[in-house]
Amino acid sequence: MSGGYMSMGEAHRRILEYLNRFSDAVSSQDGKSLSRLLSISSDSHHLLSLADALNTFQDANRLIRQSDEYSQYADILLPVFRAFQSYRLRNLVESYQAFEKAANAFIQEFRNWESAWALEALYVLTFEIRILAERADRELASNGKTPEKLKGAGSLLMKVFSTLAGKGPKRVGALHVTCQLFKIYFKLGTVHLCRSVIRSIETARIFDFEEFPVRDKVTYMYYTGRLEVYNENFPAADQKLSYALTHCDLRKEANLRMILKYLIPVKLSIGILPKALLLENYNLNEYSNIVLALKRGDLRLLRHALLEHEDRFLRSGVYLVLEKLELQVYQRLLKKIHIIQKQKDPSKAHQIKLEIIVKAMKWLEIDMDVDEVECIMSILIYKNLVKGYFAHKSKVVVLSKQDPFPKLNGKPISS
Amino acid sequence: MNQGGTADTLTTVEINSLEKYPVVDPSQAPSTSYYAPSHSAPISWSTHGGNNYPRENGIVSSSSYHQVQQVEIASRTVQDGLNATPAASTLTSGAANPPQDYSSYSTYQNTDPYGYGNTGYATYYNGYQQQASQPYQPPVGAYQNSGAPYQPLSSFQNTGSYAGSASYPSTYYNPADYQTSGGYQSGVYSNHSNYWQEGQYTTYSNHQYPNYPQDSSTLYSSTTSAASSQYAQHYKQWADYYNQTQTEVSCAPGTENVSVSGASSLSCPIPGVTGGYPASNSQAPAPYTPSWRPDSSSSELPMAQPGTANGSVHDGYWMPGPAAVQNQNLNPMQQHVQTPLGTSSTRESFQNQQQSSGPQGHNSTYTASHQVPQSYPSSLQTVSQTAPQLDSRRVSNKLQIPTNPRIASNLGLGLSKVDKDISGSNAASKPAYISVSLTKPNEKVPSEDAAAESILKPGMFPKSLCGYVERALARCKGDAQMAASQAVMKEIITKATADGSLHTKDWDTEPLFALPNADTASREDVLFSTPTSSLPKSRRSPSRRSKSRWEPVSEEKVADKPVAAAAEPVKYGFWNKQFTGGKVENKVVHWSNTKFSLSDQKSSNKNSLRPSKRQRLVDGPSAADNGDASSESDKEQTLTAYYSAAVALADSPEERKRRESRSKRFDKGHGNRQNNHFKQKSAGAGNLYTRRASALVLSKNFVDSGTQAVEDIDWDALVVKGTSQEIEKRYLRLTSAPDPATVRPEETLEKALLMVQNSEKNYLYKCDQLKSIRQDLTVQHIRNELTVKVYETHARLAIEVGDLPEYNQCQSQLKTLYAEGIRGCHLEFASYNLLCIILHSNKNRDLLCAMSRLSAEARKDDAVKHALAVRAAVTSGNYVLFFRLYKTAPNLNTLLMDLYVEKMRYTAVKCLTRSHRPTVPVAYISQVLGFTSTFPTTEASDGKERDGVEECAEWLKAHGASLTEDNSGEMLLDTKLSMSNLFMPEPEDAVSHGDANLAVDDFWARNLESSIK
Repeated sequence: MSGGYMSMGEAHRRILEYLNRFSDAVSSQDGKSLSRLLSISSDSHHLLSLADALNTFQDANRLIRQSDEYSQYADILLPVFRAFQSYRLRNLVESYQAFEKAANAFIQEFRNWESAWALEALYVLTFEIRILAERADRELASNGKTPEKLKGAGSLLMKVFSTLAGKGPKRVGALHVTCQLFKIYFKLGTVHLCRSVIRSIETARIFDFEEFPVRDKVTYMYYTGRLEVYNENFPAADQKLSYALTHCDLRKEANLRMILKYLIPVKLSIGILPKALLLENYNLNEYSNIVLALKRGDLRLLRHALLEHEDRFLRSGVYLVLEKLELQVYQRLLKKIHIIQKQKDPSKAHQIKLEIIVKAMKWLEIDMDVDEVECIMSILIYKNLVKGYFAHKSKVVVLSKQDPFPKLNGKPISS
Repeated sequence: MNQGGTADTLTTVEINSLEKYPVVDPSQAPSTSYYAPSHSAPISWSTHGGNNYPRENGIVSSSSYHQVQQVEIASRTVQDGLNATPAASTLTSGAANPPQDYSSYSTYQNTDPYGYGNTGYATYYNGYQQQASQPYQPPVGAYQNSGAPYQPLSSFQNTGSYAGSASYPSTYYNPADYQTSGGYQSGVYSNHSNYWQEGQYTTYSNHQYPNYPQDSSTLYSSTTSAASSQYAQHYKQWADYYNQTQTEVSCAPGTENVSVSGASSLSCPIPGVTGGYPASNSQAPAPYTPSWRPDSSSSELPMAQPGTANGSVHDGYWMPGPAAVQNQNLNPMQQHVQTPLGTSSTRESFQNQQQSSGPQGHNSTYTASHQVPQSYPSSLQTVSQTAPQLDSRRVSNKLQIPTNPRIASNLGLGLSKVDKDISGSNAASKPAYISVSLTKPNEKVPSEDAAAESILKPGMFPKSLCGYVERALARCKGDAQMAASQAVMKEIITKATADGSLHTKDWDTEPLFALPNADTASREDVLFSTPTSSLPKSRRSPSRRSKSRWEPVSEEKVADKPVAAAAEPVKYGFWNKQFTGGKVENKVVHWSNTKFSLSDQKSSNKNSLRPSKRQRLVDGPSAADNGDASSESDKEQTLTAYYSAAVALADSPEERKRRESRSKRFDKGHGNRQNNHFKQKSAGAGNLYTRRASALVLSKNFVDSGTQAVEDIDWDALVVKGTSQEIEKRYLRLTSAPDPATVRPEETLEKALLMVQNSEKNYLYKCDQLKSIRQDLTVQHIRNELTVKVYETHARLAIEVGDLPEYNQCQSQLKTLYAEGIRGCHLEFASYNLLCIILHSNKNRDLLCAMSRLSAEARKDDAVKHALAVRAAVTSGNYVLFFRLYKTAPNLNTLLMDLYVEKMRYTAVKCLTRSHRPTVPVAYISQVLGFTSTFPTTEASDGKERDGVEECAEWLKAHGASLTEDNSGEMLLDTKLSMSNLFMPEPEDAVSHGDANLAVDDFWARNLESSIK
């Protein structure tokens, strides 16, 4: 308890002060102060002492109902007070429930306001809803109950979205809510729900994407980019994540790192390698061995690096992307053999015997027999990573004399 | 008698008194009709048919209709308050339905039995219902019985005489708890019905009559049976359906056992209800009944609860906004009831086949009724009406499906199956499940209203009069005042009707009578003013239900149809002593003969299309809310407020009250249950009853809440301890509370599992058996190693035959079972899961998810390692590795991989033709692609290898590859030629569901076989 014991009068005073501020903020259309009054999880001194006051002075409802000025917002204020109280008592599930109710009432009210002055407060509301829901779910889970509040928050935000997604000044807030929704869906693992929101953002004519605030655009591009990574649509993922990277505030290193975490695998899979400095600067060392393996054609190193960070890659969802780099490593290895052969005997350099490759694999301590290597070569040729053909009878890869190892140069491996 | 002129007059009395409309009279007539012989009944039916249409119209005609409903609601509330004294309530309600209902009430019950006796149908119904007291009545009784649930419907449909009937049901209900609903329907309907009667009743009547009997009989039979038999015998199956209806009975007594027995013996409450209903139900019932039934069901629900609770509950239900909603909600319940009866299913089947079987008769009736509505619509509000009817039909069909399973278990599965098969057009909707149907009716209602408004003829029910009533009621404060006002208005209207000034009088300027009492007018006002708003709510809940994941009844049942139909009577006989199998059959025959000419499926279909469209339009905004509605009441309130202008109602005091009463009911229900348990220990026979009764109570509660779908029911409260010693048991989807007598205890289930494991029979049989084992485990809440074993066995079997959907069900269950720490072969199934994802769904996200969940220990397991290797091979396209893993797969991994082999081979050959030049030996391909073993070791394998090469060559050719031979005669794949010609041939044995083993032929053969046995 920050204030320790609080007298009844003091509690009464604080509650009235809050109510005053609230109605002032609404009547003067001051979104900023209003948002401060709603940021329950900010743990600000004012709100904490308000919560204490509410717990001391139990009859705050009467205060609200007494005055016309406050009672018109009773639908918002009553549950908000309950949310504060429960929050203070660390009863997060109840706090969330009350806050959700307040949010619903607020949205109702928000719809009636012509201008978008309260957007900021709405942002805070959506943020708080999400945070509270996450915490409430943790509480529920620790009590052995089904965590479902975040899901509920998702549908609430969906409603907020539909409130904003119309013509008028409020529509610039739609992307912010969308981003909050993305966060919820990614957390819940129900990313398929993103699709409908994305569709309405990208196809609705009322939205001019460039009109949205930059921070929302970056967040949006980050999440849609991640979705493209799941779909292994690398060019689109590259475009979206690059957009996010270039527009992201350079001071937000954590955000930059998050973007790079996905952008690097995407770039790698379209044949673009990052500089070592970049990995170092953003503490993305889990990729350094992978980059090295690609440069060296060292399959063993790649596999080792994947194994080492398997959990991390699986969780972030780039594991499968990185695994597919194997083919590029094979290509690199073949190229190396080709170069070595050219140094020895330029006339026969374009013919690589299968057994040489098998030997190279053995040297890398990778156990593969001739059939398997032949299969790999076949796939390399099929995917156009190697130009040439395979002569089965003589077990030789015959490379094209012109550009036998085409570079990807930003194009994905053809399937 | 009733139906004829007498019916009209009588009806006029009752109904008129209520609403002063000619239509009103019909309601009374129904009661008389019941008494009257069956012959008279037909007449009444015809009128009913007319009425039925009217019903629809009534519904459609939103303005008048709504108003009426509102009034009715008000009266209902009054009634609720009066519950203790039904008669009193009727009197008070006077203005609207209540009085009529009540008055008719006592008489009706008596009459009902008679009515039954008259009609041949009686047998049907008798068997089901009444069991003892009114075998003759059966036809009538059946009608009547159905009537109870259907009342609302009947009132709608039977504008004329039926309106009266509708009122009857209400009266019947009233005694129990139905009163309110009854009042509702009858009042509203009666008005409409009157109009209709005037217009077209006569014409329609003929058609309808046949229909009516059929419909009603079907409905009734089911309902009645529910009432009588339910308690004793069918608890489980019928429980859900009947719950509503039955609950009333059981509840009324207070104690389930007592009440049940009393109900059956007395037959008064039940018969009365049924009797009243039959008339109304018979025609329109199918479509309409569902919607109206909800009302009755709601009323029933209260009944189920202790008497004290009733009043409060009713109030809550009837609360202005809520009332409408409740009705809608109730509808689902009612529908259920109908379905249980089997009438719906039977209807469909009958229609299709028009066979001799009783069910068919029902079907035909349905169609008939449907048709009628259509025709009517043209005159009045055809569009809107038809749409509703269609909806209702659909609903009924759908509902039937769910119920059928239950019924099937007890009565005859065949019926339900038949329905499915026969339904044809309906079939699609049937699977949709009850929830869907429910929503539709609700939705329809709104649309109807809109249409009705536009269409409404001024003559029907003067708008000004409605306005007058509304105004009068609006002034009222409190139920008592309402009731008093209604009584006064009833008088006024009756008088106006009598002297013909009903339509000539300027109701707008007519001074309001002096207010009898003074209370808070807010409630009634809200109710009246916002009927529409309430409707949206109800719609929402249904829509949610439609999303329910309940599966359609298993198709396997279809085969049983004929058998079931035959078996039903017999079964009934078992259940109810009173039942007479022979009679039932006769009746059925009658129906089939009379009715079935009217198959207007086409028209009905059209209609059905319309409603759905409308629904969408109407629902648009509200539908989105549905999802949230259930989560929390608070939330629900806010949401509703959002979407509908009527939202205001949600937070109204009435709403709150309603909720309170609802929760009270729950408490009581639980209390009852506990009592029951005690009783069970002491009395063997009593146990079932009590259990069922408690289940009924619970289900009633659910019904009340309306927003709750069946799957939201707290099945935990229904945990049973099985007593069945049958090792073999067919699977039937449970649509009601389980009956311990048909549930097997754990020891028996173990034997059953062993039996399945050692069985030589085909997968379909085993699947069926395993599903029933799973069901028994679930209803008994057995979650242990046996459960895991059963699911594992089923999953393995499913893999063996490639039944992926079933496998997926098992797998998801196993996942949670393993997560609970129950031991089993979880590593084996982790590998299956991985393979399934990679080979079949191939969603990267799922795969990543599954992989990241694997523990370090799991990764060391051979099966899991194998699965992971397969995954790697597939993602990299490494066909050599894939087929090596294929040859060395542990457990059933091979079988899962089997499903991917074709794809893998095809991509491999594509790859080979692209990369290899000039040729590739077929022998090599055969070896690499798993046609022959990779390492032929012995001479004996040479032959096999050659076969493999042959097979490979065949396969290559089938896929468009060009083969050549070299000098030594070795077969080669010409890669350059083949490259552009490769294609994936259509599998020859392709079956739409992907598994030849599950082909329809086999399915039919099996069912025929079993049915012959």
